[in-house]
Amino acid sequence: MSKDEWVEESDKGQCSGFGLTRRDTLKSGAAIVAVSLSTQGPNSAEAAADRAAPLPVTPQYPLLVRTTVNGEMVEVEIDTRTSVLDLLRERLGLTGAKKGCDHGQCGACTVHVDGRRVASCLTLAAKVEGGEVVTIEGLSDGDNLHPMQQAFIDHDALQCGYCTPGQIMAAVACVVEGNATSRERIREYMSGNICRCGAYAGIVAAIEDAASKMGRG
Amino acid sequence: MNTASFPDRARVDARDKVLGATVYPGDVPVARILHAMTVPSRIAKGTLTALDTSAAMRVPGVVRVLTPDDFPSPAPVSEDGPPPPPPTLEWRIAYRGQPIALVVAETLEAAIEGAEAVRPSYAPEPFAALIDSEDSERDPGEDVVFGNAEVALSSAATTVEATYVSPTQHHNPIELLVTTAVWEDGRLTIYECTQSSAGTRGATARALRLDPAIVDVKSAYIGGGFGQKGGIGQRQTALVAQAAMLLGRPVKIVMPRGQIFHLATYRPHSRHHVRLGADANGKMTAAVYDAEQEQSRHGFFPCAEYHESTCRLYGIENYRGTAADIRIDRQPPGWMRAPHPQAACFAFESAVDELAHKLGRDPVTLRLANDSRIDHRTGNPYSSRFVNECLEEGARRFGWSRRTPEPGSMTASDGTQIGWGVACGAYPSMMVPAIATLRIGADGSTRYAVSGHEMGQGIRTAIAAVLLEGLEIDPDRLEIVIGDTTAAPQHITAGSWGTAGAIPATAKAVARMREAMRELLAGREIAGNLHRQLSTVRRPFLQIEVSEVGPGQGPEALQALRRGAYAVAGPEYPNFTTMSYIAHFVEVHIEPRTRRVRVPRVVSIADCGRVISPRTAASQVRGGVVWALSAALREATEIDPRYGGYLNNDLADYVVAVNADIREIDVGFIDRPDPLANSTGLKGLGEVAMVGASPAIANAIFHATGKRLRELPIRIEHLL
Repeated sequence: MSKDEWVEESDKGQCSGFGLTRRDTLKSGAAIVAVSLSTQGPNSAEAAADRAAPLPVTPQYPLLVRTTVNGEMVEVEIDTRTSVLDLLRERLGLTGAKKGCDHGQCGACTVHVDGRRVASCLTLAAKVEGGEVVTIEGLSDGDNLHPMQQAFIDHDALQCGYCTPGQIMAAVACVVEGNATSRERIREYMSGNICRCGAYAGIVAAIEDAASKMGRG
Repeated sequence: MNTASFPDRARVDARDKVLGATVYPGDVPVARILHAMTVPSRIAKGTLTALDTSAAMRVPGVVRVLTPDDFPSPAPVSEDGPPPPPPTLEWRIAYRGQPIALVVAETLEAAIEGAEAVRPSYAPEPFAALIDSEDSERDPGEDVVFGNAEVALSSAATTVEATYVSPTQHHNPIELLVTTAVWEDGRLTIYECTQSSAGTRGATARALRLDPAIVDVKSAYIGGGFGQKGGIGQRQTALVAQAAMLLGRPVKIVMPRGQIFHLATYRPHSRHHVRLGADANGKMTAAVYDAEQEQSRHGFFPCAEYHESTCRLYGIENYRGTAADIRIDRQPPGWMRAPHPQAACFAFESAVDELAHKLGRDPVTLRLANDSRIDHRTGNPYSSRFVNECLEEGARRFGWSRRTPEPGSMTASDGTQIGWGVACGAYPSMMVPAIATLRIGADGSTRYAVSGHEMGQGIRTAIAAVLLEGLEIDPDRLEIVIGDTTAAPQHITAGSWGTAGAIPATAKAVARMREAMRELLAGREIAGNLHRQLSTVRRPFLQIEVSEVGPGQGPEALQALRRGAYAVAGPEYPNFTTMSYIAHFVEVHIEPRTRRVRVPRVVSIADCGRVISPRTAASQVRGGVVWALSAALREATEIDPRYGGYLNNDLADYVVAVNADIREIDVGFIDRPDPLANSTGLKGLGEVAMVGASPAIANAIFHATGKRLRELPIRIEHLL
């Protein structure tokens, strides 16, 4: 079920407690600032569109972070302990990056920061001040999939799909780094991303395929 | 019966998955959400005497700390009723890591800080942490006996006898255990990654003394299940639901992996003593197999099921199987992929390899000579059985005829020891009832609701395959609603019966819809797809409902399904037995200096009846092989006997197969429909895919080195 269908569900009143959707957050993107939600009722998804969910309580050590996420400027007040992953998922409504371990051990949270792949669960949000973050949501060009995304479909390089956003972000980086030159090398450079369903053979085939289309590897 | 093979088709939800747009339970957008964190017990057994929550409440953002006082006393358990729900919060401690408090806060950071600030006091008691601990209790299960195995064994020309060990292992799907509870207008809605949405509804209602009719559970997509998210229910669910109801705000928990190790189920450590006997021609005449497993004090993961597959792998007429639980003070074990057959077939298929070696027979030809048309446990025939076809096709693709039998005889010039091994697997084919609703609209939409949960096995794709094969509808506007108690009655999806429930019902829905369209059109020829035809006759939509049950099941199975109860038939049906089969062929390389084991290629041929979704089925078999490799060479949970917890409770220390461990896995299917099990001829695949590949690896290591290793996992130190 896509996010849009969830919104439809909420319109039916089944789960009318939902106000914020990631897609709506993304639609306007632009300036994301902390404001009160108090004026918003359950159907104010549009009104909430251009804001991050504000911090509901002032933490002991707050910090204003300015960063770019998928090409959009984001300015958001955070608890200094917040990881990039929790900032994306819990504040910005970007739930593509996944929490699988919160220890930098599984790779499901992989995003690009200034062009390099990082485990967003191990990266403090404060560290991306002034940086550029790209998540799975920023990879495709509208309806046109990135070659790596298409290759993952073509080679059935996924099953449950939970590790997939991290696999794809790592895979794109693997190609860009010049590490997709052989199956053997791909396997080594993709071993930081665990796929418990065991779609590894498809992942390697997808990266080989996409690497040729990305003009590298 | 549908006799045609199904065409290759892409996974229907792959596009959303590669976009990161798929909404897993932890991704559901909920306004005004509170974050929860559990506090785990630091003792393994005893009593929680006090819980000081004052420091936790002072953490900015913490709104409440739930303690055992916030929960009703445990629901009474009736003999013939459903199994007890997971306990909520209790003053009694049954295992280390049991949740003792739930901290709820405005932010995740505050919830974590609050959980660390809770100060419990305990009165600890002595406990047993290991299967060999002194205070463990032995609790025998039911025997499986047919023929006279002891007599047959004593007169056998050749016998083998050995004990095999499979370690404690944890499922570790990459998605953590996640629950979001929303309490609104007198309804409790739970978004949870569960393989049993109706089971979650029932267990939560029983634990919190609610009417199940006010509880809805939605589990549209699961980030890997492997049995961890089905079975006996998840312990955090009722905690979070109670918090949401007490606070009047939605509450979400994402369980840390370290805590999941301690409170979710796991594959129990098990020991298997196997004796096999064969006559002078290599016909296996007797098997005596004693199994025992670690078990919690009140757990009910059944030990007798170790015999389900082993007594049916070959035509052995004399079988005596015993089983026992060894009860200790840890959390309950449960169903983890290929639950019993994984460990049982590791033991049994290793023993068969030992027998082949002792007989001087090729392990493939020995197996081929021991096929059977009859299930000797019941005396009934197998409805279909193509295990020999799996062996023959696998041997052909693998090039088995080039194998030289002597261990160590295939060593490469650089000293790399090469071994070729084979083993088979079998898994019961079980059937479940389903109720389905199909609605096709003149507006181009199709909505299909049925029982099932998508944890990556591809059940949506299989359902779509049947719908799109049988009906001319717009595939882009086909909505398949599963894992949702508001859409259709939901049965637990596990044990490879997911497709057995959903697919025959879907085939029936297709037939009923075609019939309904014929009646509606009454002989008129209208061009275009069904949407167009409905539009032409000015009918906004056409909706049908169907139900289907397994062989031997009647209306009581549908009633059980409506109640959210367990309603599984098989593998023993009124006049026949149905099993899925697989044969795995494995090549291992053992590096001469590091002794590292590599598995460069595997060939796996499965008999799962009719293959409904060829592409996702092949992926499922590859995944099963990866699991078996991981179980054979990597995974073991290390238990700390001093404290009763788990030492390697994260993905850095609990080592699973990664990309660099996996090379070529060639998958094939017999793809012949079973004539009796159901209308589509399918038999189930996800579990059997794993069974037998671990012993194939161990057998290949024996062939490479001459060293017989009977305990998993096999690591470098065992090959020095």
